[in-house]
Amino acid sequence: MKVNEVPQDITFYEGARRACYALDDQGKYVIVPSCGWSAEDVVNGLAVAELATNLEKTRQEVLKGLKSPLVYHMERRQMTPEILAKTVGILSIRVRRHFRPDVFSNLKSSILERYAYALKLTFDELKSVPEK
Amino acid sequence: MSTEILANGRTYIHRTSAHCETGVTSALFCDKGFDISEPMIFGIGSGIFFGHLPFVKWAGLPISTFRSLPGLVFKKAAKRLGAKVVRKHFRNPQKGMDELRRVIRTGQIVAVTTNVYWLSYFPRRYRFNFNGHNLIVLYETENGFRVSDPALREYTLDCSTHDMERARFARGPMEARGLMYYPLSVNPNPDMRKACITGMLDSCKQMLKIPIPLFGVKGIRYLAKKIIKWPDKLGNVEACRQLAHVVRFQEEMGTGGAGFRYMFAAFLQEASELFESSELNGLSNEMTAIGDIWREFAVVSARIIKQKGQAEETFAKAGGLMMICAGREEQLFKDLNNVVRKLKA
Repeated sequence: MKVNEVPQDITFYEGARRACYALDDQGKYVIVPSCGWSAEDVVNGLAVAELATNLEKTRQEVLKGLKSPLVYHMERRQMTPEILAKTVGILSIRVRRHFRPDVFSNLKSSILERYAYALKLTFDELKSVPEK
Repeated sequence: MSTEILANGRTYIHRTSAHCETGVTSALFCDKGFDISEPMIFGIGSGIFFGHLPFVKWAGLPISTFRSLPGLVFKKAAKRLGAKVVRKHFRNPQKGMDELRRVIRTGQIVAVTTNVYWLSYFPRRYRFNFNGHNLIVLYETENGFRVSDPALREYTLDCSTHDMERARFARGPMEARGLMYYPLSVNPNPDMRKACITGMLDSCKQMLKIPIPLFGVKGIRYLAKKIIKWPDKLGNVEACRQLAHVVRFQEEMGTGGAGFRYMFAAFLQEASELFESSELNGLSNEMTAIGDIWREFAVVSARIIKQKGQAEETFAKAGGLMMICAGREEQLFKDLNNVVRKLKA
């Protein structure tokens, strides 16, 4: 890759630029800052969109009363039940049980606090999902 | 480039780099007064690799890696350059944070391994749950730390204490357990030639000699064959997902382009000057050409994904490009092996 071939397509690094190695006119390797490549945008976009779609699906299910808000907040933090279980220090089988809305609504406040801390949420945020 | 004054009055110069671990290692060594570039660290630490791990999942999809295990480049480079290093894990987050504060108060900069999701200065689109981003902590500020993230920003920035603790002690696959590392002392005049030779031979071994078909050149072939079969086996949507995942590992994770292949070419170029060997320079050019094919593979893949498998670009073409890469890399590392054996330390 030559210096003038370093892609400068998009600027979704939020002001940051990423270093690329490229050859200058003398054929020497130099670091060239790049503000983004469209090919990378496609693959990253696919992953971001997939997460968003799954999250929206979960939100709808929570609103219908099929799952507890805990599932939504876990997915929002990009965790799996196993990671969440390790973070709060509760067995993953118990964490999965708390995904049931009826079980979740009867949880003690001490356990809810642990979840709220692990997911970096306030107590009220944990109990509900956003309406829109 | 920006500079910062450390706790004991020394100056730290922030430089941008392509990859987090090599950039951090190079910065740590430069700070100790031993000026070494990022590609040199990458080459001496034998960072170049390929591995496809169908059983290890990240975000539900198999991992394809273009570099050796996280942490290994730092360890190998330090050993081969004769540096004394400290690497520590912690069970207790409080102890981990206290130890970090203690060390940076003495003016020693410290590298920490973090989870990207919890670093709020990261671009939103890149905040994935990934436990393996390295950055340097410079000194304490009023409500957090001043950090230098060579792989991401062209200047130093602030990170809150809360973010730092979360990021260092996030749980999950490959968890960092608060890993922090820094060199105690660096040999000011190491035997660079010997270190380069060891690094290059080790790279050849990693790429050619591992007897498991998931690693090195064999791994590239294995994945290329799989890619060709994906659309029939998994259907178009799933195949696109998997292909995107491979390209993300190649380009997104701060590789300097083409899955570290350009960085390795830069290393070979620097080594050719060190040894005054035209053969190494030729290999560097060949590596650049291979890197260009990897880039083309990414472009073709992006087109496939954009068109949802409807147009002229096919999975067979993407897999074919990868096959070419495998063949040429195999030849390159065989040549490199022969050239290096003739070099004198």
